[in-house]
Amino acid sequence: MSVITRRQWRHHRLVQIALLVLAWLAGEAIVRVSGIGLPGGIVGMALTLLLLATGQIQLGSLRRGAQWFLAEMLLFFVPAVLAVLNHPELFGWLGAKVLAVIVLGTLTVMAVTSVVVDMVLRLTHERATA
Amino acid sequence: MGTLLLTLGWSTITILIYLAAKSFHRLLPRWWTAPLAVTPAVLIALVLLAHEDYSDYIRGTHWLVLLLGPATVAFAVPIFEQRALIRRHWPALLLGMVAGSTAAMLSAWGLATLLGVGGELRLSLLPRSISTPFAMTVSGDIGGVPDLTAVFVVFTGVLGAALGEGMLRWLPLRSSLARGALFGMGAHGAGVAKASQVGREEGAVAGLVMVLVGVMNVLMAPVLALLLR
Repeated sequence: MSVITRRQWRHHRLVQIALLVLAWLAGEAIVRVSGIGLPGGIVGMALTLLLLATGQIQLGSLRRGAQWFLAEMLLFFVPAVLAVLNHPELFGWLGAKVLAVIVLGTLTVMAVTSVVVDMVLRLTHERATA
Repeated sequence: MGTLLLTLGWSTITILIYLAAKSFHRLLPRWWTAPLAVTPAVLIALVLLAHEDYSDYIRGTHWLVLLLGPATVAFAVPIFEQRALIRRHWPALLLGMVAGSTAAMLSAWGLATLLGVGGELRLSLLPRSISTPFAMTVSGDIGGVPDLTAVFVVFTGVLGAALGEGMLRWLPLRSSLARGALFGMGAHGAGVAKASQVGREEGAVAGLVMVLVGVMNVLMAPVLALLLR
């Protein structure tokens, strides 16, 4: 195989998607054999990070496949969302309460996170310039 | 319906509705036309109209949910791409994520208790602030219902992305790091899209925070499960 076709092959999105599926299967296999209580996806991700950091695999050989998976992720979890059909009780007063928890909780999370990040940044910056 | 027909039918319908929702959002880009909200809403209506139930639907589309596995692996790419940002700002990112996750769990627990929402429902609400594949894992670990958590994650994303802009106007934030973290921690995927509209740096930070906080929560889930027992 010539250098050019090999490079094209590596940069093909479908090949990269297959590569990521392979990394996931490897992660699942590691979990099954070792018995560690982590999802196979996380182990596969750690494995991929290790391969990237040690230069065993180039970012360009994964980037397009990864972008596809992340861009279309909604399609992969939308079937799970339909589980709400099994919970008719949520289409009433209880649902309204859950919605209130989500709205107020999310406002809290956003405020706390951003204020803490800004504060830490200011403190570390001040110390660096002092 | 036969299993093959069920799989082909509901999978095709799901993919088509998803693609249509994305095109529709491009035509009319409002927060309430987000594919995240429209896709499940249309599908729910169709399943109800067809007089099918969830168990039939999920039997036909379960293979799509399995793809969340390789999607999790794909998160390695943004982490590696943003390694300079992590090295430079890890203290602020780490403390922000710890504070954000704690606030997410405590606010969900506290508010749910206050409003009389208990049991599995309350547990399923705890991990709603992290990205779906991570949230569903955590939910299962701590005794929640992963599918219900997926529902709550969607609501958090849609509402969080819509509310985030107002929060930016209201909070005296000085850094793009804080603005990005607000969206990545508060509204995961939908928040990242919104943050990218605010600025390039905000988008990158939001994406990174979303991934890292997901991993962090999955790693902490066994501890949380012990605390909740």
